[in-house]
Order: sequence, then structure tokens, then C-alpha cells
Amino acid sequence: MLRYASQRLVVLLVSLVLASVLIFVILRWLPGDSAGGTLGVGATSDQLEELRRQLGTDRPAAEQYSEWIGGLVRGDAGDSFLSRAPVAELIAARLPVTLPLSLAAFALSVLISLPIGVLAAVRRRKPSGALISIASQLGVAVPIFWVGVILIAIFALNLGWLPPGGFPRQGWQAPGEAIRALILPALTIAIAMSAVMIRYIRSATLDVLDQDYIRTARALGYSRWQALARHGLRNAAVPVVAILGIELATSMLGAVVVEAVFDLPGVGSLLLSSVVGRDLAVVQTLVLAITATVLVINLGVDLAQRVIDPRLRTTVVTR
Amino acid sequence: MTRTSLRLGTLAAAAALVLTACGESAEPPAETSPTEGNDDATTEELSPEIIIGSTNEPSTLERNRGGTSGVRQTMTRNVYESLGGIDVDGEIYPALAEDWSISEDGLTYTFDLREDVTFHDGTPFTSADVVWSLSEIIAEESGSARRGDLLVMEEITAVDEHTVEIQLSEPSRSLIFNIASETIVKDGDLELTADNGTGPYRFVEWVQGSFLTLERYDDYWGEPALNEGVTFEFFTDTTALNNALATGRLDLVIAQDSPDQLAQFEDNPDFVVTEGTSTTKQLWAFNNSIEPFGDTRVRQALYRAIDREAILDAVWAGRGQLIGSMVPPADPWYVDLAGVHAYDPDSARELLEEAGVENLSITVDYIAGDVTEIVAQQLQSDLAAIDVTLNLNPIDSAVWYERIYTNHDFETTIQSHVNPRDVLWYANPDFYWGYDSADFQELVARAEAASSDDEQVDLLRAANELLAEDAASAWLYLVPQIRVAAAGVSGFSENQATEAFYVAEIVKES
Repeated sequence: MLRYASQRLVVLLVSLVLASVLIFVILRWLPGDSAGGTLGVGATSDQLEELRRQLGTDRPAAEQYSEWIGGLVRGDAGDSFLSRAPVAELIAARLPVTLPLSLAAFALSVLISLPIGVLAAVRRRKPSGALISIASQLGVAVPIFWVGVILIAIFALNLGWLPPGGFPRQGWQAPGEAIRALILPALTIAIAMSAVMIRYIRSATLDVLDQDYIRTARALGYSRWQALARHGLRNAAVPVVAILGIELATSMLGAVVVEAVFDLPGVGSLLLSSVVGRDLAVVQTLVLAITATVLVINLGVDLAQRVIDPRLRTTVVTR
Repeated sequence: MTRTSLRLGTLAAAAALVLTACGESAEPPAETSPTEGNDDATTEELSPEIIIGSTNEPSTLERNRGGTSGVRQTMTRNVYESLGGIDVDGEIYPALAEDWSISEDGLTYTFDLREDVTFHDGTPFTSADVVWSLSEIIAEESGSARRGDLLVMEEITAVDEHTVEIQLSEPSRSLIFNIASETIVKDGDLELTADNGTGPYRFVEWVQGSFLTLERYDDYWGEPALNEGVTFEFFTDTTALNNALATGRLDLVIAQDSPDQLAQFEDNPDFVVTEGTSTTKQLWAFNNSIEPFGDTRVRQALYRAIDREAILDAVWAGRGQLIGSMVPPADPWYVDLAGVHAYDPDSARELLEEAGVENLSITVDYIAGDVTEIVAQQLQSDLAAIDVTLNLNPIDSAVWYERIYTNHDFETTIQSHVNPRDVLWYANPDFYWGYDSADFQELVARAEAASSDDEQVDLLRAANELLAEDAASAWLYLVPQIRVAAAGVSGFSENQATEAFYVAEIVKES
């Protein structure tokens, strides 16, 4: 297990290096200019050149890349092209919004989708099961921002129970307000995620229900629910954990969309505004950080699956 | 590594990149001007903090970067002041300089500075600060949009503590206006420094992506601010902005740029909607340096083919104003030229025929956004009526700056220009629209060298008329300045003649 984990860690590091090259190259290949946007209409070509010299964007790409990675290794992500603030500070300032938001969204979606997904499988031939299937299919088709707009219209503008957007200026020093600000956005992401997860959990459970050991258990007099609880859930857990991992990553990406709809100063809106302004210094580090998080989540999923299902441990990688 | 994790890694990167394709509408935002006084309110009954909503967040607090009109909107006049200020009618009034005089030959400017001014850190304001700040604007690494105009300042000297003398290399009628657009900071403060000015407010905090807070400065030399402080809350999404306004989180919205959402405030007694004039000109600009746009008849034909009245109706439901050249009514050399190339598809067809242009198919690049989308579609259908095909090509602002502004790689583009007195840019043949008219350049040069303001105004009026006749661009309309305030909030100006949004006279009934 330890050997497996360390092997995976090496793969993860190599993937990160490859990802950093890819991110750097693709961003440089994008059309668009941050210098022009900073100086605005009226700037002369001399002024643009001077600004590019100050930003270092006039230097060879390889040099810029090695400076970026070298800085990251030393723990310095560089400065934003636009605001000149340290990139690490900018990202750190946004985490208190995005982390609680995506974790809350994830927790909510698990709470919603696990019981409903299992229920849908158990009742697959009953109207309630069909209803859940239809509802979840609908949920998958609906764009996430639209869910947000609907929730705002109902709970903020119509009923006035929760704010339509924004985050308190004092941040978490006003915990009540901060939590209220995150309820609707978290619910928005959770609804969109649950729709996907319910379908996965339903089919994972269905696979298990068709297994011989369940039939045997039923033959021994267990009810369907009892059989599932005693023998099925652990088996269903392996694919479900993989889905949870993917969905945890999705909850972060969902934040990008939802933060814009709810006017939240989180990582997602930082990414969006940096991409629009071609603040590549911010974008490259942020995208790499997101990639790293996704890779770490996946490593966690693989390890968790091995803990849950001993059979996976025996299929040793022979290399 | 499983296949899933690899895929997800690239997915994350791809998701971020895809976002570039759907960039925000980033039209240069509107700008502000001084306020009508609020005579009823006295300093004894100060209103509490005012919360202002804006979609124009500074991207940096560097004052001298032209593109960040957000920093000028929030900080100029409120935190930083100029030698002369520009008021709501576009007129210049004495601010940090009490008075100034110009020598006979127009080459020496002498400024008498106010003596009772202190910076927010307590340091007295002197001539050294002026010399420093003006020198910084024309320094080589300066990003100021007015740098080129101010390079005529050959020598800036402190005659004594409170007198500054500026020697010019040649006369420049616009000098006072250009200097009035630039702010003065403490001697040695870099343009990056953003925490020490002389204005009625002290800068408190800017949380990027969220808000910027100013607090009243009690030792201000002039009339103190009527409110305790102001917070600008920044939005990227106009729906979110309007939701915040509707639910009482904001006291005032500087510029309502989503006409569709006005209805919810217009017939609601809880809100006041004002409509003023701006200096924001919506342009359909031609690349004059390539064919067929080098042919005046083609430009005139395209301009006449457009039903601007209908566009203004479609976009702003009739608000705003038609213009026929780059000059808004706030400028001294404004002439009503809206009728010069009035809607006339028949004469448009004739002009094209005269120019020998057939089956014309052109492309318009524009920054994707609700308003520009409507404008582009109207242009397309108007041109189809004279058998000209218009291909729509939405882009984002970063691409606009690179491809169109810097590389001049375009045919036509829709853009709004906010800067006051920017008609002079047509005198620069290297500007992105490539308009190169010796006559126009000569008129502008003579206006700069004029011996009196009247002479300058006459010459620029003539230049203005020439530009309109030439159809250097198609000026579609002047964007209306629409502000929405919560009932009981007053003291802000309806018009927008300069870049600053002066907030010291805004009060709200408590």
C-alpha cells in the first residue's frame, strides 16, 4: 500500500510538471493583450513596449516559464500583471469564500443524492423511482447558472429570506451574514451536482442489486433493504467513491460559474476576471493550483477505494 | 494514474481556457463629474456611509494608467486632487492652484498654489509635490494616456514654496485641461502608491474583486464631505448589481448600462432614476488605412445607410442623443452635426455606385456584450438593405486591444470612447482607425497654437465639421448617463463630463 502510494505520488508530480508546461504554452498562445487593457485607449506603442518590459512579457517564453516555476518552487507565485499585487495574496484572499462554498456544496449534494440515489435503485419499478430518474435527468440538462437565477428570484427577490448575492465586507468576522451569503450559491451547486450523482449512485446500486449474493440473501429471508445494507453498500461504495471524487472537483469548478451569478469574491471570479483581463500571471498559477487539487483528490479516491475493497489491493501493479 | 484523473486535470485547464471565449462585456465604462450642491444639508447633520454600486472596478490603483478608468472614477477629486478641477459642465476651476497666468507668447505658465492644504498623512502640500507629480506623468515609464500631450512641458520649476512655473517648448492651448486631468501626490510617492492625497476623503481599503472604501478627511482644506464615508461595491454582472440595488444593499448606482433592467426601478417610488449626458461616444469605426474605407464616399455611404434613431430606440428606448462627430455637448467646440449624414439609404446606394464598389462584404469586430450585440445586428440589417454584407465577429476586450488597437488588424469595429476631448485623436494618423487628413491635422495644430480660447474654439469647430463631413467614423450616438438612487439619496450630479465621480456632496435622509 505504501509502495503504491509513493509510486502514485511520483506520477502526480510528473503530471503536474506536464500540466504546467501545457498551461503555460496554451495561455501564451491565446490572443489578447493585458498591456493594452491596462493602459487603455490613448496609449502609444512606446508606452505599450515600456509596460511589457516592466512586466517581463517581452522576454523569451522559456525564460518566463523557468522564472514562474522557479518562483513556485521557492514559494513565490509572482505578481499580478494588472494590480501588481502578489498572486499568492490574491488567491489566499479568495479562498475563505470558495473553500467553504465548494465544501458546503459537496456535503449538501452527498446528503441529497445518496439516499435518493439508493431509493431510486430499490424502487426502480415503482412510479417514485421513475420520477426520481426523470427529475435527475432534467437536472443534468439545466445549466447551473439558471438554477442560481431561479433560486435568487424565489428566495431572495420574492421571499426576501436570503441575500441575492454579495459577501459581507467584514468577511467571516460577520459569520452569520457570511453563512447566509453562501446558502443559495451552495444550494445551486449542490442541486446541479446531485442530479448527476443520483444517476451514478442509482446505477451503482442497481449493479449490486443484481448480484448473486443479494439474491441469496433475499432467499434467506432478508428484505431488499436489509440485503442491501448488509452486503450491498460496501460493494456499491467503490464506484461511488470515484464519483464523489469527481464531484468534489466539480464543486470547485461549479464555483467559477456560481460566484459570478451571486457576485461572490471567490477564486472563481478571480479566475474569470483574470482571464478576461489576460492577467496571465494569475491565471497560470490558479489553473495549476486547481489541477493540483484535482490530482490530489484523485489520488485520495484511488487510495480510499483500496481501503474499502481488499480485492483491489491484490491486483498488484507488476512493474 | 488512472485515465479519469488525467482527463480531469486537463479538463480543469480546459474549463479555465474556455472561459476566455465567453469574456465579459468590457466596454470602456462611463465617467463622472462634479455634483450639484446639496444646499439643505449642513455639516452638522452628516449622513452615514454611502454605498455606491459600480461595474467599473479599478484593475490597479496606479493613477496614471489610462486603461483603469475605475481608479479615476473612485479616487480622482475624492482622494487625489489636481491643480485645476473640471466641473460638471466641463469647465476648469481652481483646485490645488488658486490661480494661474499665461505669458504673452503662451510658453510660460505660472501656478499659485493654495497654502492651507495638507496631505492625509499631515505633510503640508508645496510646490515640490507639483513638480514631482507632473514630472512623473511625463517620465519614460509613465503609462498616462495624456503623456504625449504633456510632453510639451520642457521645464517644471518650483519658484518658491507655493509657486510653480512651467516652460513649454511650443504653445499648447490644451495644457490647462490636460494638467487638470492629472492628480498631484506627495513628493516621492510613486504612481503605485495609493494611500496619500489631499482630497476630502482618505483612502481606507480596497479588496480586489469586492469593494473600495473611503473615509472623510477631517482636515480637508475645502468644504468637508457631507457624508462620513463612501464605499464602492464592485460587480461584474449587471443583474447582480441590480439585485443588490433592488434589495436595498446599495444607495446609488453610478451607471446603469443594462437598459432592459431599468423598468423595475422606473415606476417604483423607492427609487429615483436620473438621465444625464455623458462623454461616452458609441462608434462604428472604420479602418481608414485600408480599402475600401480610404474612399470618403464609401464611409459616407455606410454612415448614411444606418438608421441611428432606430438603433438608439432599440438599445436605450430613445434615451441618449444622436451625434454626428466625436464631440459631445459638454465640450466647448460642440456643434450639432447629427444631420450631416442622416439616414438615407438611397443616397448611400448612389455613393457606393459612384465609388465603384459592388458586392461589398465587410467584417465588424466588437466586444461581446448585450448592447453591442444589438447594435451589431441593427447595423447588419441596415446594411443588408443597401446590399452590403456585414459579418459579425464578437471578441473579448483583450483581443480588441491586441488585434485592433495595437496591430490595426481589422476592417471595422464597434467601440465606445469615454475620454473627454478625444476628438484630437483623429489628428494622429497612427491611431488605430488610421484617419489621415492633412486638413484636419492642420486645424488641430493651429488650435493648439491659438492665442486665445475663442480662437481655439473656432478652429476646433471647423475641425469638427470637417471630420463629420468626412465620416472618419460612424458616430452612432452619445450614451445616456443613467443613474439609479434609492429614494432619499441626493447630491450627485446627473451628468458625466469628466472621469471622476465626486461623492462629497452625496447625502441620504436617515
